[in-house]
Amino acid sequence: MRLIEGFHVSKNFGGLKALQNVDFTVEQGEIVGLIGANGAGKTTLFNVASGSYPPSSGTIRFKGENITGLKPYQICQRGLARTFQIVKPFLSMTVLRNVMIGKLFGKDRLRHREVAEIEAHRILDLVGLSSKAKIPARELTLADRKRLEVARSLATNPDLLLLDEVLAGLNPTETVEAMTLIREIRQGLGVTILMVEHVMKAVVGVCNRIIVLHYGQKIAEGMPQEIAEDKAVIEAYLGEKVEL
Amino acid sequence: MGTRKHLLGAVGLVLIFLCLWPLLASDYYVSVFLDLLMWIALTASWIILSGYTGYISLGHAAFYGLGAYLMAMMWTQIPYVFAVILAGMFSAGFAFAIGFPFLRVRGPYFVILTLGLTEITKYIFINLEIKLGGTVGRILMMTPGLHTLYYSILVVTVMATATAYFVKNSRFGTGLFSIKEDEDAASALGINTSFYKWLAFGISASFPGMVGAVLALRRSYIDPYTVFSPIVSFQVIVMAFLGGLEDVEGAIVGAVILTLISEALWARYPYTYMIILGTVVILIVKFMPLGLVPPIKSRLIKAMEKES
Amino acid sequence: MDLTRILQILSTGLIIGGIYALIAVGLNLMYGTMRLLNIAHGELIMVGAFITYWLYTLYGVSPLLSMILVVILSAIIGMIVCRIIFLPIIKTSKSVAVLESNSLLIFFGLSFIFTNVASLLWTADIRGYSYMTQVVQVAGVPLMYNRLLALGISLLVCLACYFLLQKTMLGKAIRALIQDREASHLVGINVSFIYMFSFCLAFAMAGLAGCLLSMFYEITPFMGMPYTIIAFIVIVLGGLGNIFGSLLGGFLLGLLETIGVSVTSPGLRPILTYSLFILIILIRPQGIFGRGVY
Repeated sequence: MRLIEGFHVSKNFGGLKALQNVDFTVEQGEIVGLIGANGAGKTTLFNVASGSYPPSSGTIRFKGENITGLKPYQICQRGLARTFQIVKPFLSMTVLRNVMIGKLFGKDRLRHREVAEIEAHRILDLVGLSSKAKIPARELTLADRKRLEVARSLATNPDLLLLDEVLAGLNPTETVEAMTLIREIRQGLGVTILMVEHVMKAVVGVCNRIIVLHYGQKIAEGMPQEIAEDKAVIEAYLGEKVEL
Repeated sequence: MGTRKHLLGAVGLVLIFLCLWPLLASDYYVSVFLDLLMWIALTASWIILSGYTGYISLGHAAFYGLGAYLMAMMWTQIPYVFAVILAGMFSAGFAFAIGFPFLRVRGPYFVILTLGLTEITKYIFINLEIKLGGTVGRILMMTPGLHTLYYSILVVTVMATATAYFVKNSRFGTGLFSIKEDEDAASALGINTSFYKWLAFGISASFPGMVGAVLALRRSYIDPYTVFSPIVSFQVIVMAFLGGLEDVEGAIVGAVILTLISEALWARYPYTYMIILGTVVILIVKFMPLGLVPPIKSRLIKAMEKES
Repeated sequence: MDLTRILQILSTGLIIGGIYALIAVGLNLMYGTMRLLNIAHGELIMVGAFITYWLYTLYGVSPLLSMILVVILSAIIGMIVCRIIFLPIIKTSKSVAVLESNSLLIFFGLSFIFTNVASLLWTADIRGYSYMTQVVQVAGVPLMYNRLLALGISLLVCLACYFLLQKTMLGKAIRALIQDREASHLVGINVSFIYMFSFCLAFAMAGLAGCLLSMFYEITPFMGMPYTIIAFIVIVLGGLGNIFGSLLGGFLLGLLETIGVSVTSPGLRPILTYSLFILIILIRPQGIFGRGVY
């Protein structure tokens, strides 16, 4: 089923046309990549989809429901979660508490701290932060902060997870670990993923489908192979053919 | 945990002591404790919004003054207890009314916005008094005795500290602290940040309303310049920052320390007292932004963990 | 309403507007370059006013001369406060948001220190003096020399500021810093010097404004706050960091306020001012200083 659909989504900031009539869909169970040069509108699309601000025009439907203009917390509680490009951990709180917040206020809306704690531990296991549960978030490395960001969003029990450049700043080993985690999120938890990414090897390695944005417009969409060979995409963004 | 029972016992003892105080002490010292309790109530309620969410408010004096004037208007027409409660409810209502637009403003702009709120309330009352009565200031006659007022404030203070404590340890409080850490992330995780801030603002405003109502009776004379004075808000800030913004214990510690200093200085050297307050704020913000209580608390916790 | 009355309102508005411009430009300079919200700005005005008052009343020194002393003294105070209190925290603040909030609280504390030191030294009494009160007719409007003098000085200083910012290298560096702090570092601008300079210049202009004000208004240790509020209104309306906006905004607000008070009543002035203050903060254009993305 179509998990999320955007119809003619546009967003203007004053004179700047960040998004122009973008149509997009993500089917349940997919891992879709969203690529494009900086300023192409990828994070804007995420912000519109997750409710940071409404689109200037167009609609977004999530699980069949029109979510255009809803507030971020409302969208989160319907099962759409996101991570931030510059991670926003709750620095003074422990890793565990960070994740518990997702459990307490996300789609599950758990009332009791004890249950939330148990569920949070489960998520920490998945992302590999169990050993650091009691550490304050401010003491984590960047890679671990990114793990925490993902864990916290997963704790809200989303159907769709928007990952915003989750691989940025990771070294090759960490990148491979992250890719494995992304696959596991889809495989083990059944969460659909839409990911903005610049690391092409990861995108083609993990995604079923890729959407390409350029100056706020969708210029291509398709399987990794097609995208890698698409002339427009190569000219606008890739620069050269990507070896798969 | 054994410590929890110990703490409850300690709190109980303190409460009993405070209840017995008027029977033990002279009027002067009952008065001192009345002041102390008032500041604890004001500071403990202030941190519910400003300490827990980080939205530093200079508007506490506005609700305090509002409560005082409400009492001045209702006195001798409504039973005393009802008047105090109404003052609290009205102050909360006022906060709820302005809460949504006010709390959309963040950071230092919220601070100066709330300063503007207190100031405009002051001038509105000045103008109203001149229009209605020709003079500024109200006298209240046949006010209750010191002991009645003391116990009233004691009740309000207990309610304020209990509220601050239970909010902090509730799901609501967790949400508030998340807002303080990162409001956008909190929102993205399902917290209805606008509502939470609004609720904290209103709850927090009810207590200065009640305190103001009781204090109006104590002073028997109120005027806009004193009840809406930025000095009220300023003292609360100093107490909260001194003791620690995020804990009721901090509010109490800050209030106690400042009341001691003010007892020594305020009557004869009010200007020096304020200069000290100003210096304290600067020192705390620069060197100990968390306040006195948190580092002591974590050291105590570490020591207790070592023992067990 | 006859022409004389209109001209009188206009001239009063311009005179007070010039002073507002002085105050607002200084405040905005401090905010634009350092992200510091000086809520104690009014107290610097008060200090300038009192110094001028005492020099005139005790030693007969003309405010024209005191002006120079006040400017120097205010700049020195600025240098001390900047060096000891603010430069360290600008360097160590975790984020702009934290810096803005913390500095606001520090300035709040400074404001109390200034008012109460003044009260301690000079009591809270209202004071005033007369200087250059001869009246001269300008286009049929009677104006006192002292007010003309104030207008002249404010215009002069505002022009000097304009010249500084537009035509000198230092001014260019200041404008660069207001636009982008990181980039300014990178192109070799001595950022610390500009911080200090902006800080001292702001304090000096506030002191000067106080000196001018003391010539025709009464002074007390508590006179500062209303001017701080007005300065905030001006800089938000004119644009935070937009120095020319504050320049024009100051004059505009002086005019608006004078017109408003003449149409209603003087008692309502604070209410009008604060209403405007609250409204513009509530409705403020998001792009200029909101952290939210709405």
